[in-house]
Amino acid sequence: MTALLSIRDLVVNFHGGPEPRTLIDRVSVDLAKGEILGLVGESGSGKSLLCRAVMGLLPSRRLSVDGGSVMLEGRDLVRASTADMLSVRGREIGMIFQNPTSHLDPVMKIGDQIAEGIRFHEGAGGREAREAAVEMLAKVGFPDPSRQYDSYPHEFSGGMRQRAMIAAALSCRPKILIADEPTTALDVTIQAQILELLLDLRESLGLSVILITHDLGIVAQTCDRIAVMRGGRLVEQGPKREVLAAPRHDYTRMLIGSHPSLPAAGEAKPAAAHRQARPLLEVDDLHVRFDVGGSFLRFGGRKQVSAVKGVSFQVMEGDTIGIVGESGSGKSTLARAILGLTPLSSGHVTFDGVDLAQQPGRALAKLRRETAMVFQDPLNALNPRFTVAETLGEVLKVNGMPSADIPGRIDELLDLVHLGREFAGRKPRSLSGGQCQRVGIARALAVNPRLIIADECVAALDVTIQKQIVDLFAELKARMNLTLLFIAHDLAIVRNLCERVLVMYHGEVVEDGPSAEIFARPQRPYTAALIGAVPDIDPDKKLLAPRSDTAPAAA
Amino acid sequence: MHRYKFVLYRPLQLLPVLFGISVITFVLVRLIPGDPARVLLGTRATPTAIARIREQYGLDEPIWLQYFYFIENLGRGEMGKSILYKIDVLKLIATRIEPTLMLVLTSVVLSILIALPMSAIAARCQGRLPDHAVRIVSTMGIGFPPFWLALMLIIFFSVQLDLFPVSGYGETIPEKLWHLALPSLTIALSLSAVITRSLRAAMIHSLRSDVATAARARGMPEGIVFWRHVLPNSLVPTINLLAVNIGWLIGGSVVVESVFALPGMGQLLVRAIFSRDYMVVQGVAMVFACATVLVNFLADIITVTVDPRVKL
Repeated sequence: MTALLSIRDLVVNFHGGPEPRTLIDRVSVDLAKGEILGLVGESGSGKSLLCRAVMGLLPSRRLSVDGGSVMLEGRDLVRASTADMLSVRGREIGMIFQNPTSHLDPVMKIGDQIAEGIRFHEGAGGREAREAAVEMLAKVGFPDPSRQYDSYPHEFSGGMRQRAMIAAALSCRPKILIADEPTTALDVTIQAQILELLLDLRESLGLSVILITHDLGIVAQTCDRIAVMRGGRLVEQGPKREVLAAPRHDYTRMLIGSHPSLPAAGEAKPAAAHRQARPLLEVDDLHVRFDVGGSFLRFGGRKQVSAVKGVSFQVMEGDTIGIVGESGSGKSTLARAILGLTPLSSGHVTFDGVDLAQQPGRALAKLRRETAMVFQDPLNALNPRFTVAETLGEVLKVNGMPSADIPGRIDELLDLVHLGREFAGRKPRSLSGGQCQRVGIARALAVNPRLIIADECVAALDVTIQKQIVDLFAELKARMNLTLLFIAHDLAIVRNLCERVLVMYHGEVVEDGPSAEIFARPQRPYTAALIGAVPDIDPDKKLLAPRSDTAPAAA
Repeated sequence: MHRYKFVLYRPLQLLPVLFGISVITFVLVRLIPGDPARVLLGTRATPTAIARIREQYGLDEPIWLQYFYFIENLGRGEMGKSILYKIDVLKLIATRIEPTLMLVLTSVVLSILIALPMSAIAARCQGRLPDHAVRIVSTMGIGFPPFWLALMLIIFFSVQLDLFPVSGYGETIPEKLWHLALPSLTIALSLSAVITRSLRAAMIHSLRSDVATAARARGMPEGIVFWRHVLPNSLVPTINLLAVNIGWLIGGSVVVESVFALPGMGQLLVRAIFSRDYMVVQGVAMVFACATVLVNFLADIITVTVDPRVKL
């Protein structure tokens, strides 16, 4: 097997301080023709930087390739001239990115963005390029390519945008595609479709792919070989099955151990022991509608969209309930409505016997005191100018704790979330994502809440940190009899943490029951598709085929 | 084409805005201390003469009735008679609107011609010498007051080099443009400074954006990345800034018109205020207000054309 692309001892340094800092440390890796190489590692491990170095697109002028070579069919890309690299990029190596929304030009027709490369690299005329671009759009699954050529990126859903980006990257038929976390921003079902598309394109175009991801499940499902990076070094590489079955490096073992997997069907967790008569939280036929459009003196009626349509469920004290669903299914709106952060359109939210719709003042006061929320982005949810102690102290003070007791309580809270007491004086900037989220949880616990709502609180974290936070929740749940509403799009985490799960789809709860039950025997095809789309770390458990051959129409 | 539907109903939405403007200018003008009749009569002011003039111009009526007549006249396309010039205000404005319009137009074109290359150079050389130079020049442009700039330009280009006329306005188009060169340069120097700062920041942001990275990853050379992706994406915020500034500019032309003795609306306004010519002041104020509203309306149309995401 001869390598198409061969990276040898590549070194990338950052020249900022007195000493250059090495970000990529003598990495050597090969990519064979037609192969899919999975490049895994956590954020900051250098996997994206490595690919940027291959493309000659280092994100800062202070970064430079200071050693090694990148051989592409006998040419060294590290030493290639700027002009030569122009013909390598797009023509020999294409690249797609994590966030298609920010990488597609919002003010340019998607077709033109694809045709642009064809015109420049192949010198095609306007009509020729358009025809080639339409063909490319059809190839990546646009149902009506000649019409959709003239559409703009914002007219499409996230999945279709990623398809458009793939079309743009492959427009000049490169031999290699570098895909940098191409599905991280997408829902699981869409992720499965995009991965399927990449596999198809590899077959039909004889493409070699470097797939950067933090999700070992994706690697297990799609890649031939795995390369594991950590701190700028390559710690392990080898054929997929070998690495997954017998990891040699500790770090690889830890990554595999942290991967949230859906347990095999059948093993049920014991249900919560004793139940009180009255539910802590009762949601009854809740509707939340938003006005869209309709401004001062505008003609034409006001339009409304329903984000939550007739949701009902009960939460007992001590329950841990997972709410899952794709983006736009109304999960977050539901959470905000329960906490009184979004006005209810109709229906009831009753917290501990007080109805939010009937006694809004009393219910809000009670909710503010007895519930808490943990947010998705741990860094942005903390005041950057406050130290950890100030963040926690503020909540305690507002809740009327005498100032003499506050320092003791802060220490207690830090212990509870396993943060050293020395963290009290630090500001969010000097904390890692996982540490920030621990502070967020400590802040939520500060009020001794009876209900915590966690909205996608691990989605922004690396898998190993994700596992730590989920473990922390599990521990706190057992120790403090917490009532937890856990909103997530990651089904495996919900399956492992929550006894009960609500599946939301288009603002409605389509399935509600014990996790073990629902994951083993989903009643609704939507739930089944959602579960089937989770890439399993076991390469032999194949992803379910996408729901249909044709891609969903543009939104 | 439903995105352009606002072109039809936006003018209707503007009616209440214009109503508000008319009330405010009408009342404010009457709050200025002084009496037009007294100013008009000067030394010949006897109580009976003043009363006669006041009656003649309807100034003895209660203010709400005066406003009613004002609106009634407006419906017939009249704005009342100027006390000083003795002709209908609209006709008076019509004779003075052209120099101001030309001044604004040439200033804006000149500003764009200066700002576009300056910000492009600065953004592409960010942190290096050309960038610093552009930033210093644009800070100076914002800092210097227009009347001082105008005088400096006159001293240099008219008195020393004898290239452009000191003041006045011409008859033919080339003559007019020749006379407008220094006034519009005065305005353009400060206006382009404002635009350059905004455009430079937007371009720097766009040059580093994911859109630019993705285009580079497709092998696009820096020139294409800049002209096809960076520039269009940088224009959107600048269009609105320009519109706000043009609105300000229409009113701000007063100083420049006075310095260069351009027979435009600004000059007319100054003279009308000194002689308490209520009808002219409120007429000119209404025209300025309408122009500002119109410019912002045009900016909305351009924004919708440039950015397909915008819905109004």
